[in-house]
Amino acid sequence: MTQIEVNVHYVTRIEGHGNLVLSAKDGKIEKLLWEVPESPRFFEAMLIGRHYDDVHHIASRICGICSIAHTTASIQATEAVFGIQPSEQTIILRKLLYDAEMLESHVLHTLFLAAPDFLGVDSVIPLASTHKDVVVLALRLKRLAYNLAEALAGRKTHPLSCQVGGFAKLPDLNELKALRKRLVDAYTDLDIVLGLFKTLKIPDFVRQTEYIALHDAKEYAFISGQIASSDAPAVSINDYLGVTNEFCVPQSSAKYTKNKRDAYMVGALARFNLNFKQLSPRAKKVAKELGISAPCYNPYMITVAQLIETYHVLDDSIGLIDQILQKGLKEEPNKVKAKAGRGVGAVEAPRGILFHEYTYDDKGLITKANCIIPTNQNHNNIQKDLEALVPKILDKPQEEIRLMMEMLVRAYDPCVSCSTHSLNVTFK
Amino acid sequence: MKHDVTLTVDPKVTVKKTVVISKKSFKSVVENLIKNMEVVGVKAKQGKFVFDRISTFDELSMDYDVTVIPPTKYVLPAKETILKFSTGDSIKAEPILENTQRAIIGVHPYDIRAIELLDEVFMAANPDPNYIARRQNSIIIGMDCLHPSPKSFSPCMGTNVAENGFDLLLTDIGNRYVVVIGSNKGAEILEKYAQTTKPTSEDISKQKLLRDETLEKCKQKLNCPKERIPKLLEESYDDPFWEKRASTCLSCGSCVMVCPTCFCFDVQDDISLNMKNGERIRQWDGCMLVDFAKVATGENFRHDKTSRFHHRIFRKGKYILERYGKMGCVGCGRCANACLAEIASPVECFNALDESNRARQAAVRALREPILGSELYAPRAAELVRVDKLGPKEKVFEFKFKDGKELGQRPGQFVELSIFGIGEAPISVTSSPTRQGSFELAIRNVGSVTNTIHNMEKGAVVGIRGPFGNGFPVNAMTGKDILFIAGGIGLFPLRSLIQYVVDKRSSFGKVMVLFGATSPSVRMFVDELEAWKKRPDIEFHETVDRAEKDWTGNVGVITTLIPKVQFEPKKTVAVIVGPPIMYRFVINELKKRDMADENIVMSLERRMKCGVGKCGHCQINGVYVCQEGPVFTLAQLRSLREAV
Amino acid sequence: MKPKIAFLEFTSCEGCQLEVLNLTAEELLDLLGDVEIVNFREAITNRSDDYVIAFVEGSISRESEIPRLQKIREQAKIVVAIGACACIGGVNCLKNHMPMEQVLRIVYGDAAKYYDTIPARPINAVIPVDYYIRGCPPLTSEFLKVTKSLLLGKKPEIPAYPVCAECKMAGNICVFELGKTCLGPVTRAGCGAICVTGGRHCWGCRGLVDEPNINSEQEILKKYGLSTEQVVDKFKIYNSYSEVKK
Repeated sequence: MTQIEVNVHYVTRIEGHGNLVLSAKDGKIEKLLWEVPESPRFFEAMLIGRHYDDVHHIASRICGICSIAHTTASIQATEAVFGIQPSEQTIILRKLLYDAEMLESHVLHTLFLAAPDFLGVDSVIPLASTHKDVVVLALRLKRLAYNLAEALAGRKTHPLSCQVGGFAKLPDLNELKALRKRLVDAYTDLDIVLGLFKTLKIPDFVRQTEYIALHDAKEYAFISGQIASSDAPAVSINDYLGVTNEFCVPQSSAKYTKNKRDAYMVGALARFNLNFKQLSPRAKKVAKELGISAPCYNPYMITVAQLIETYHVLDDSIGLIDQILQKGLKEEPNKVKAKAGRGVGAVEAPRGILFHEYTYDDKGLITKANCIIPTNQNHNNIQKDLEALVPKILDKPQEEIRLMMEMLVRAYDPCVSCSTHSLNVTFK
Repeated sequence: MKHDVTLTVDPKVTVKKTVVISKKSFKSVVENLIKNMEVVGVKAKQGKFVFDRISTFDELSMDYDVTVIPPTKYVLPAKETILKFSTGDSIKAEPILENTQRAIIGVHPYDIRAIELLDEVFMAANPDPNYIARRQNSIIIGMDCLHPSPKSFSPCMGTNVAENGFDLLLTDIGNRYVVVIGSNKGAEILEKYAQTTKPTSEDISKQKLLRDETLEKCKQKLNCPKERIPKLLEESYDDPFWEKRASTCLSCGSCVMVCPTCFCFDVQDDISLNMKNGERIRQWDGCMLVDFAKVATGENFRHDKTSRFHHRIFRKGKYILERYGKMGCVGCGRCANACLAEIASPVECFNALDESNRARQAAVRALREPILGSELYAPRAAELVRVDKLGPKEKVFEFKFKDGKELGQRPGQFVELSIFGIGEAPISVTSSPTRQGSFELAIRNVGSVTNTIHNMEKGAVVGIRGPFGNGFPVNAMTGKDILFIAGGIGLFPLRSLIQYVVDKRSSFGKVMVLFGATSPSVRMFVDELEAWKKRPDIEFHETVDRAEKDWTGNVGVITTLIPKVQFEPKKTVAVIVGPPIMYRFVINELKKRDMADENIVMSLERRMKCGVGKCGHCQINGVYVCQEGPVFTLAQLRSLREAV
Repeated sequence: MKPKIAFLEFTSCEGCQLEVLNLTAEELLDLLGDVEIVNFREAITNRSDDYVIAFVEGSISRESEIPRLQKIREQAKIVVAIGACACIGGVNCLKNHMPMEQVLRIVYGDAAKYYDTIPARPINAVIPVDYYIRGCPPLTSEFLKVTKSLLLGKKPEIPAYPVCAECKMAGNICVFELGKTCLGPVTRAGCGAICVTGGRHCWGCRGLVDEPNINSEQEILKKYGLSTEQVVDKFKIYNSYSEVKK
């Protein structure tokens, strides 16, 4: 009689709290759960009655890593309600700020959170002795992203200068020039990471699911586009509820989603699968070197997709800075007039598609708010992946099963504390 | 000894030469200066004006009313490193002096006058090396103010004109500038970069006309001659106006931060993570901020906003003038612009207090030996050679300077004990200078520095600055009878004097020592107390507030000992040190015995930081405790209202 | 012997801990020379409860969090509250203005009985706290300052005065003069007034000064065009807990 018990309380090296539970006897699974016991935050309740100038400031606090994503989605939702079209300059600056977050988040995940597993250590700290160069370059890349965000928005975590209609302060062109140089130098660092990744053994597990992401034919979509699916035609972001279909499950304080199948995936791999054509040429080349092509159905490859996206983000940010340096920046008046109505903002957070929907009254105060977080949308798919993976590895030693389950969860780069915000407040 | 300040005015230039330059010439001057050094000037920002770095002439906005922050920030910046230090056994500190050449363009006369005041503060007594380095490298190109801000009142303070303190002073007369050359440096600049011509009589009349017109534009009026302001304030010391006015004060500090004549600062240590080195940094501080006068034990000598507001206006209208000979307010109006509660404007306060004349107080200002060189803030290394426990929270530490020199203190002086990374604390010296080879500090563990020293062992090395303060008046006491009254740890500073008197016993008459402790178990320096008791030439009495088991001596507060001693009031000097509450009662008893105010001597405590009369924290009314104190006679204290 | 430190979190966005990873490489490596990190769930797998200094992030908003926090107080010699949520309650307290049953019912409907929530509160409402690192998120420089101070056994020199003083030191134009409103006059300084420097106003994330002149601030805000309701609203974002307490 072989008894396998895996109880991971909480999974480390992810944002937020989640548990893995597995109980199997003689090759038969009795219990297999990805549990989300995270404390609910009640953000939609907190936003009720808030003035539009404060809304994105509060919404930013949903998450410490992807605060820029939440800020952007929030501002775009408010702008959709008020009928404000941001200027070309604002859009360029927002995209550049977004690239900073992508860069930081992906570096954090690939090198600090996921890589230790592949290198057989429990954190990045021991790597400081064995792979000192990698640790130093990881910190350097993170710092670059941090400084880029600082130059654009005053601060990376909970940005300061973003506001409805634009930016409260424009970046200094000399600073952007200096950052451009550091971005160019970053390729060398990233190539070392690429070299490292080529040596790693990625578990070979395949489960095809539905993939959902923002899609824009003109560019690799981060902050604009339509909702695309591998299984259905694209729809407007205003119709997001028809795609997400949230529901409750007892093992989670976060809700689950599904669309055309029993679950779907969002995030870097979903983007890679749906938007491969829009990646920069260099990023496509890196994908080829790594031996990954779209569509890829191995969730362990999400981390690899993030590395490919990081190359794209470097290319993109350098291009955006060049545009800014060529055109220069000019002060733009910020005229915001509140209007009653409903609107949706959607962005691709590093972990996947994120929706903010707000309803305002004519005074500019929120009467209803709804946020659907990418990790929310992945919980169901993680559960389904585990259900497909574990039977295949039940013959392995317990420690290895545990590690593979943890690595699967980590590959998704989940942001659990965002996902337990709460939902659907119908409030008068 | 006062230093002659002759930085910007060559003594040979007695009459200031006036020339005229074209606008084009001025542009050439600025552009050439930009090529050769850092240039700052007035720029527009969000509808207001600021001094900032310029890289082209067009960035300047010369016809401005007032800047938000004054140009004094270039000689006394908001934050600057004054020392870089290394921790460990040697006290190694490197003074950091800024030597960037900098031209400041567009300084209005009231700001020029403010810089003159700062020159007096930072360069006369105890010359401040950091200030001097910045000042010597600054070129001041002044500009007459022709568009005063609505809240400005510099004509009321007489500061709308400047006769000195600049390298060049320009007046925009329309199509060109009339320029007064204030220094050789200014003359050199014009020679190199401008075409100058002699002013015509029309130029000069135009200049006068514009200056007169500007006077007319000034909206604010002072309702009394400015010379009356100090008297006015003194008469109004207890006026109900203060509390009413200060009730809406946010203690936000905006008024002091924007003021060109404010210069108080705080000093903090920032150690690096490797704990091996760090920086000692000074940054702007202000008497209006809540913790400015708070000491380590938690007592705050200006706890309420009324007393802080009161102190600031008195500084601006009286104390600074009395201390430095120049008015502490130049009427720029920045505080009035910055104050959200709209209570800050000094001219509004002076007007509100406009009353009849009073006799003016004589300035209380003592001359000090200046500490020359760049070592003003750099401590000297002293090694701890002995530690003894004195009480539950008290220890006595004996130090020797590593260079073998003597401290050279007078009894009653204090030192600043410096532990890099933690900070500095003022500690009185408890040993007499007659005991050479080392000095002793008796320290109670109350704060960060004292806690750290309490954990140090023999062999540790600390930094010492000083000695500071005036010390006890031993010369005046020679030949007289001495009555020592020590309460609790008041014994610490008093012991230095008692030892001194004991070592020079024949120079003094009758010696009486009264000592009070709260209980027998907290008597400190017990061996010495016993030794004094045994001496036939000292009359020693002791009491405790409450007894413990084996105590057979007096029980009662220290005032109960006074009736036990016989002394002739005219021949006796009483020296008292103890907790604040003790003074009032002891003084009462002594006054009952007909002792004169001049013969009652006390040592007072305040929050002290720099020790050299600069940072401002130890002020009592117009005096600095680290300079005119900490020892005061009762006669002196009668005129310091805050000392009660 | 390097002291062992732990990073622990309750209801939070984890942004404060993440700021530790935003130190420069030199700072992080130097820090690791001074301390041993034995618990940092977000970055390290191995965990130990043998720590001497606990950095606690997040506010308490569930019954189950209370005993866990008390255990941390028992274990740690020094507890440091890091971030607005731990120090003053933070944005989590915005929900306190509604009754908890209502909040739960709204969110979870009939399933509400499986979840619990209590009015959110800072950690010093549950345990005594030794040091505070304020801000949302705190500056890395303040994190280093407080950490260095507690390693030296020194009281950290954090200002007791309002943001206005630092705003002026930074050379900013007062936002009231630009037609905006600001909580700077009653909010504790230490951040260098970065939000104003960044073009916005102070939202009060570092908490109120010890003796804020709230009446005066309210009068000023009203003078600049906000109604009493709007004024109270501005305070609510970070200072709901103190308000609710009052």
